[in-house]
Amino acid sequence: MAMMAYDERRILEMLHEDDISRRRAFESIVNNFSEQLYWQIRHMVLSHDDANDILQNTFIKAWTNLDSFMGYSRISTWLYRIAINETLTFLNRQKATIPIETDEEGELSIADRLESDPYFDGDLTERQLQEAIATLPDKQRMVFNMKYFNEMKYEEISEALGTSIGALKASYHIAVKKIEEYFNNID
Amino acid sequence: MKKEIIYNFDEREPRRPFTVPEGYFENLTQNIMDALPQQESIYSTTITVTPWMRIRPYLYAAAAFVGIFFCIKAAVGISTRNNASEMAQTEETTIYSDEYIDSFLETAMMNDYTLYYTLVEPGN
Repeated sequence: MAMMAYDERRILEMLHEDDISRRRAFESIVNNFSEQLYWQIRHMVLSHDDANDILQNTFIKAWTNLDSFMGYSRISTWLYRIAINETLTFLNRQKATIPIETDEEGELSIADRLESDPYFDGDLTERQLQEAIATLPDKQRMVFNMKYFNEMKYEEISEALGTSIGALKASYHIAVKKIEEYFNNID
Repeated sequence: MKKEIIYNFDEREPRRPFTVPEGYFENLTQNIMDALPQQESIYSTTITVTPWMRIRPYLYAAAAFVGIFFCIKAAVGISTRNNASEMAQTEETTIYSDEYIDSFLETAMMNDYTLYYTLVEPGN
């Protein structure tokens, strides 16, 4: 069966219809948002396998909680929120299970991971950039990735994170300053 | 050497340094859909209506009426009993001894007719 075109209004109607319509509507949602959500997650967790697992969990959560989504927000906002929660839960679990290292060792481990990752094709500067981004607090990192790599508008980020546009602009500029400072301090 | 790793946001175009396995995005939707658990929609759940389910509301309504009827009956019964007992209390008469009555009759200057009239006439 051919994939239906993405029409949010029609999709919201179909989510309240029979099981077949519901599944078709959800398939259209997955098709429309999976790639952009994948990149959002991937920039946070860096590894493809982890990003893929989190993405799967995001859509399983969305599917099993479909009845609680009443259409008060946009579908993209709802999905981003689930993806962000899943990502932050994963990162917190990872921090709790990985032995505490010093900052320098932590940075080196990210560099090592990226260098040996078959799905990372960045040069030295891009590896350094990922290391710099990794030093940012989770939410600041998320804002930076959304704006810089995913090229999302502040309005879209504001909807996804529930943060004011002013606060997001400030957060992004602080992140940029910190990254520049990080590069300036590299020996 | 330090200059080589300076990151200039104004000069550098954002580039995503990550890649994915070949064909990953082409199959992503299908892979995600295949991993979804079966889900019964609350909107589309079909309920088989049995004869019992059909008559149940009427039975409940009938039971409610019977209940109300017995409640009213019980309430009326209690009220009637209360009235009867009140009447019984008010109609209780003083029992006089035969001697008292005989002396009363002797001094009352009453014949049988006057006595009967006194006892049965309303207001006495």
